[in-house]
Amino acid sequence: MNQELLTDTFVDLADTLVADFDVIDFLHLLSDRAVELLGASAAGVMLADPRGQLRLVAASSEAVRLLEVFQIEGEEGPCLETIRTGRPIVEPDLAHAKHRWPRFTPAALQAGFTAVHAIPMRLREQVLGGLNLFRDQPGPFDSADMRIGQALADTATIGLLHERNLRRAEIVGEQLQAALNSRVVIEQAKGKLAERLGLDMDAAFTALRRYARDNNLRLSDLAQTFIEGDPAEFPGLTQPAHHRHRQ
Amino acid sequence: MPPRAERAAGGEDASRVARVWKLVIAQAASRPGRASVADVCTAAAASVDVSGAWVTAGDGMNPGQAIYATDLAGESLAELQITLGEGPCHDAAASGAPVLAANLADASGNQWAVFAEAAVRAGAAAVFALPLRVGAIRVGVLGLYRDKVGPLDTLQLGNALILADIATMLLLDAEARQADDPLVGAPPASQSPGLAAHHAEIAQATGMLTEQLGVGITEAFARLRAYAYVQDRRLSDIAHEIVTRRLRLEPDPPG
Repeated sequence: MNQELLTDTFVDLADTLVADFDVIDFLHLLSDRAVELLGASAAGVMLADPRGQLRLVAASSEAVRLLEVFQIEGEEGPCLETIRTGRPIVEPDLAHAKHRWPRFTPAALQAGFTAVHAIPMRLREQVLGGLNLFRDQPGPFDSADMRIGQALADTATIGLLHERNLRRAEIVGEQLQAALNSRVVIEQAKGKLAERLGLDMDAAFTALRRYARDNNLRLSDLAQTFIEGDPAEFPGLTQPAHHRHRQ
Repeated sequence: MPPRAERAAGGEDASRVARVWKLVIAQAASRPGRASVADVCTAAAASVDVSGAWVTAGDGMNPGQAIYATDLAGESLAELQITLGEGPCHDAAASGAPVLAANLADASGNQWAVFAEAAVRAGAAAVFALPLRVGAIRVGVLGLYRDKVGPLDTLQLGNALILADIATMLLLDAEARQADDPLVGAPPASQSPGLAAHHAEIAQATGMLTEQLGVGITEAFARLRAYAYVQDRRLSDIAHEIVTRRLRLEPDPPG
């Protein structure tokens, strides 16, 4: 365990009252750091939409996205279970989980994932979503890592609901929907940038995030103005020669 | 296993969008013409337990113009906000998130003192404003009001959000028909409204089409949906082909 990175991560996750806080960027930070700190190969964050569906809002790679989408559409899998029960769900060897999740398991194995740990994101009695960690090696999860994973998820839950007044129940619904809409704006912006520069979606997202950080912009504000504006207004974003790899 | 969050997580609720859509269709069947936002407003009374509803249409950070209200109070609430330039609909349009004011008389919880006072006089005790958006595409606001104080429960909020998705698609369809797009003749919102509004690859493909077609995001989305309709294929399948670069759309619409 990298103690310094762990400390930095908790400081970063707690630092949500700053003016340029962006919830989607924040949840990506959670999935990226969970991968680094907890020895996972990939991670994804899902939120429970009151419309009756789960939505993937952040993932450490597009490979997780495909898996999570499968989980949403298949209506089974570890994240659905953790959100339904409010408890962590652990499967150290997916090769033995074909009966547990008959549709999810083959998809996970095909994507190269052999173990999964799903952690609930709770606010008192309510389960707002889940953090999923995937590994490419089977074997038990370390119990200290699992506790840290839960602590990361708990800290992120508070960050997600960054409004101070959590006693007003409606705020939770408002914040969740703001996050879900921001995520769609960012996906649209990824598409525009990916098409313009011939990038894949992961590379387009990395470029958007980097530009937002370098220019002190909220990721979702950048995404909104990038979609509405002339791409030529973002020279540093639309001409990053060093990570252009036209397909 | 006690299904604490069952309402909010998959399972039987995967068909909720279809159920709410059926409510809207049932409203539409009782009058001539296509389903419209008027049917969304009347369906709201049945599925969200509100006293009335209204829809405003506009493409900016403001709620825009009122285009339908179920009753006089709803109409007043829409117009009051436009006149005063403040209220939950303004905040919802600007922020892209719902604004849920369960008790207008509670001064601590609202930032629109003038509107709140006038709204209470117009007969509202609670107002809920839901932005009509698909990511960066903004088409207006769905307003709901109650004559009694109280929040929407999770199920009601979910239904209200689904109704807002449907209203968004109906407004976009109406716009496309006016622009003489190939959506003419399409059953309104024939593609699952929930899917179209939240699917990551559909959003990515829409963004890609702004570049391929040289159009704004709203038109790119209309063209994507029109293409899927004309081809009689799932929107998500078309989006997947665009994102994986197996399909490109041409700047000039075919036909």
